[in-house]
Amino acid sequence: MQVLHASDIHKSFGTLEVLKGVSLQVKKGEIVAIIGPSGSGKSTFLRCLNLLETIDRGSIEIGGQCLVKTGPDGKASYAGARETAEIRRKIGMVFQNFNLFPHKSVMENLTLAPVLVQKMDLEQATANARTLLEKVGLEDKANNYPFELSGGQQQRVAIARALAMNPDILCFDEPTSALDPVLTGEVLKVMKDLAMEHMTMIVVTHEIGFAREVAHRVLFMAEGRIVEEGPAEEVLLNPREESTRAFLDTVLVAR
Amino acid sequence: MQYLLNLLPSLLEGTALTLKLFFLTLVMSMPLGIIMAIARMSKFAPLNIFMQFYVWVFRGTPLLLQVLFVYFGLGVAGIKFDQMTAALIAFVLNYAAYLAEIFRAGIQSIDRGQFEAADVLGLTRFQTMKTIILPQMFKRVLPPVSNEVITLIKDTALVYAIGMNELLRAAKIAAVRDFLFVPFIVAAVFYLAMTAVIQLFFKWLESKFDYYR
Repeated sequence: MQVLHASDIHKSFGTLEVLKGVSLQVKKGEIVAIIGPSGSGKSTFLRCLNLLETIDRGSIEIGGQCLVKTGPDGKASYAGARETAEIRRKIGMVFQNFNLFPHKSVMENLTLAPVLVQKMDLEQATANARTLLEKVGLEDKANNYPFELSGGQQQRVAIARALAMNPDILCFDEPTSALDPVLTGEVLKVMKDLAMEHMTMIVVTHEIGFAREVAHRVLFMAEGRIVEEGPAEEVLLNPREESTRAFLDTVLVAR
Repeated sequence: MQYLLNLLPSLLEGTALTLKLFFLTLVMSMPLGIIMAIARMSKFAPLNIFMQFYVWVFRGTPLLLQVLFVYFGLGVAGIKFDQMTAALIAFVLNYAAYLAEIFRAGIQSIDRGQFEAADVLGLTRFQTMKTIILPQMFKRVLPPVSNEVITLIKDTALVYAIGMNELLRAAKIAAVRDFLFVPFIVAAVFYLAMTAVIQLFFKWLESKFDYYR
């Protein structure tokens, strides 16, 4: 079953065209890794799916609901506010810099949105949060504040916070780029656990090893386009395109 | 000693008026300042430009002039207020302008990621402001706000100009009557006592916000 369908996404910042017609279809339970050099537009693409950026042209459907479409006039038109809010609930986001709320405890970070947005009662939200903290191995940190946690722990809390909204799709924007290798390992482990549970994930990453091990499909982006896409093994071990090969060489040499 | 005791009632009365103006100004200019800060950041150009104009006018002219304008100027035009109301209007509008700029700086200093995290979790803009941004903003603006609050307690002396018997005017009346400087020194001690309390209060507030970084 298809849960996300983005087609022909165009996006410019001023005169700079960052996305030049990017399309992506994701099936339920599928894990898609997006790799590519800095400035290739991969983060921007993910942010468009999460409504952090608006697109100029193209269409996005999430869970069968149309978020934005482009009419014959070539202008993108978004769904109404209520529908947009409904669609947004189906898609979660984990940021590179975690973006936890520093003035809220770990528990409050997890219960805040379910209570405010989903109108869940606090008891229920707290119980859910405990289960999620156990899942990411941080049940003993519920009453700590973000600054008391390591980067890896903060990112695990951020993942739990996104999961607390029970999204159909979880997006990760370079989730381990701000972390050292040891902390990266603990975050990747949580993501692998999610993969085992068939969470649908779209992961922008520089972790080629992780992409190879976990992703069903890998997209290589450069200069605002998808240059190559296919099964992880194929794209990462046997790339067809010269630019993919060049990128993989630099990334792997850098390790 | 006896002289000081005789002096106290009039100075205490002045202090009461000073404190009344001080607290009323604070209570009204703080929320107004927040609303103005948000209006100032609005993408709706007319509102944004109006706020810039407003801040320019109220920061760009002396508070004393504003007090005189509201009391006498508007009075001439037929809009009459009693002294306290006139003073409050000028003080609240003036202090809201300064506080709005402080709050705006505070809000803009909050990492964009905080807005984005709230956004992807589905919080409305109002919920984001109320539960995520403003609480963090308050912690950051405490030092500049304490500056403003201390300035305010001293600025209340300006309402002598419309004949209000605040602390400094009460001291002046006694000083002129008795041909002594002592009343001014007593007034200074009163002001210092009030600013000391304000400083302690803000120190306590800062420690209250110390639980996170």
